[in-house]
Amino acid sequence: MFHLELLVVGLIWGAMYAMMALGLTLVYGLLRILHVAHAGVFALGAYAGVLTANATGSLWLAVPAAIGVAAAVGPLIYRFIYAPMLSRPPYVALIASIGLFIAMEDGFRLLFGPYGLPFDYNPWFVTTYSLGGISLNVVQIAMAVSTLVLAGAFGVFIAATRVGVAWRATVSDPQMAQSFGIDPVRVRYLNFAIGSAMAGAAGLLVGLLNNLVEPGMGAVVSYKGLAIIVLGGLGNVPGAVVASLILGVVESFGTVYLAAVLDRDAIAFAVLIAVLLIRPRGLFAPAR
Amino acid sequence: MLEVEALHCGYGALRAVQDLSLRVEAGRITALLGPNGAGKSSTVMAIAGHVALSAGDVRLDGESIAAASPVERTRRGIGLVPEGRRVFSDLSVAENLLVGGYVHGRDAARARESRVLALFPRLAERYRQRAGTLSGGEQQMLAIGRALMADPKVLLIDELSLGLMPAIVDQCFAAVLDLVREGVAVLLVEQNTQRALEHADSVVVLVSGHTVYRASGEESRRDTGLVDSYLGLREAG
Repeated sequence: MFHLELLVVGLIWGAMYAMMALGLTLVYGLLRILHVAHAGVFALGAYAGVLTANATGSLWLAVPAAIGVAAAVGPLIYRFIYAPMLSRPPYVALIASIGLFIAMEDGFRLLFGPYGLPFDYNPWFVTTYSLGGISLNVVQIAMAVSTLVLAGAFGVFIAATRVGVAWRATVSDPQMAQSFGIDPVRVRYLNFAIGSAMAGAAGLLVGLLNNLVEPGMGAVVSYKGLAIIVLGGLGNVPGAVVASLILGVVESFGTVYLAAVLDRDAIAFAVLIAVLLIRPRGLFAPAR
Repeated sequence: MLEVEALHCGYGALRAVQDLSLRVEAGRITALLGPNGAGKSSTVMAIAGHVALSAGDVRLDGESIAAASPVERTRRGIGLVPEGRRVFSDLSVAENLLVGGYVHGRDAARARESRVLALFPRLAERYRQRAGTLSGGEQQMLAIGRALMADPKVLLIDELSLGLMPAIVDQCFAAVLDLVREGVAVLLVEQNTQRALEHADSVVVLVSGHTVYRASGEESRRDTGLVDSYLGLREAG
């Protein structure tokens, strides 16, 4: 029972990682940029959520606020930070991305204080349900459900719609896709909007789960996200989802069995190093 | 149909092609031949709009398309089968064709798709398969089929036979000849000069970006010195 609970909690945490990592791996697949500032968008979603919730007294309104603000800011980051740098080597955009992330973190600190903002009213945190003997609060259930719904919807969109096919064609060969009438810039905007929306949702859920939104909340998630997309095979979307779930479960068991030797947040990198020793291109190396 | 006039193009200071003129007529094949690095692919990519012209003009049905974007050229009837085929390897055959017909909308695409599948029954067999898993010949058929989905008047084919088994080359040539009979104009870049000369209605030979030979298909087939003088490199190597 105890192990089952560790597994479930790990999968839920992994689902949150997946929501976060999806945007990262999509950006990498399309533009070959490590979008570190994605973690800033994650925190921004959480801030938009907590501010809305505390102002209106409604957690339900926090959801569209977090998703909406993140989905709007992601494309702006593309437009004003990455687009002007696309002709430069990728590390230029990487450095800009790290700079933006630090600026966002410090911006949150200056605007909303260094200790973060708690939710004034967080019924989802205190309401728990017992499912098959495992006790979960509403935030945890929401993490699992929203990942299933969002990742599932995204999967259908990318696999079965005309725009989804156009998107994958652009990732595969942007020049050819363009010559057949697909606008690569629109694909990029869409990419940033969808990836950022998911990061915003993940940020809000993590804020709710800790009952605190604080300036540095993106940092740990940021480097774990990078570990996940490398593990998943850079640019490989299903690979990133599976790697997220694996990491969530390994961490969950690790906090119990490895706590004496390894901090929870170090596990991601222990796993990363171990996997790269055996499979240098990640667990699920991209095709070709 | 397609006229290229005094075209100069190339990347940066390096001029890949100098002062090239050629015509491709409806229902005819113009072969663009020459050794590796002669500028054949640059010419094709310049006509398709992926390489900027530094001078000269490209006209389709008498209208200049030199300033048009690649999409606009696709829409107006330039079809591209690029060097290395460049099919969308992560997409299925069906999805590659869908993208090929993107400019003309859903309904037009459906009608064209059945024609493409009739021309290449192999693609119908592989319909749901990922393009990256196809054989070289099947990928070539897919690259041609994808271009046909946009209903081109002119088909630019950069290497039809490179790396393919002779039997597959025959199939690909047969399909192209079918298209030509239907009135499509074809600009054919080939390293396999023998095959290209067999079918060409006119021939242009490029060496280091300069036009060194130009003749009708008839003349070039009678001209036994042609291959020895300009095109012997591949046969010798």
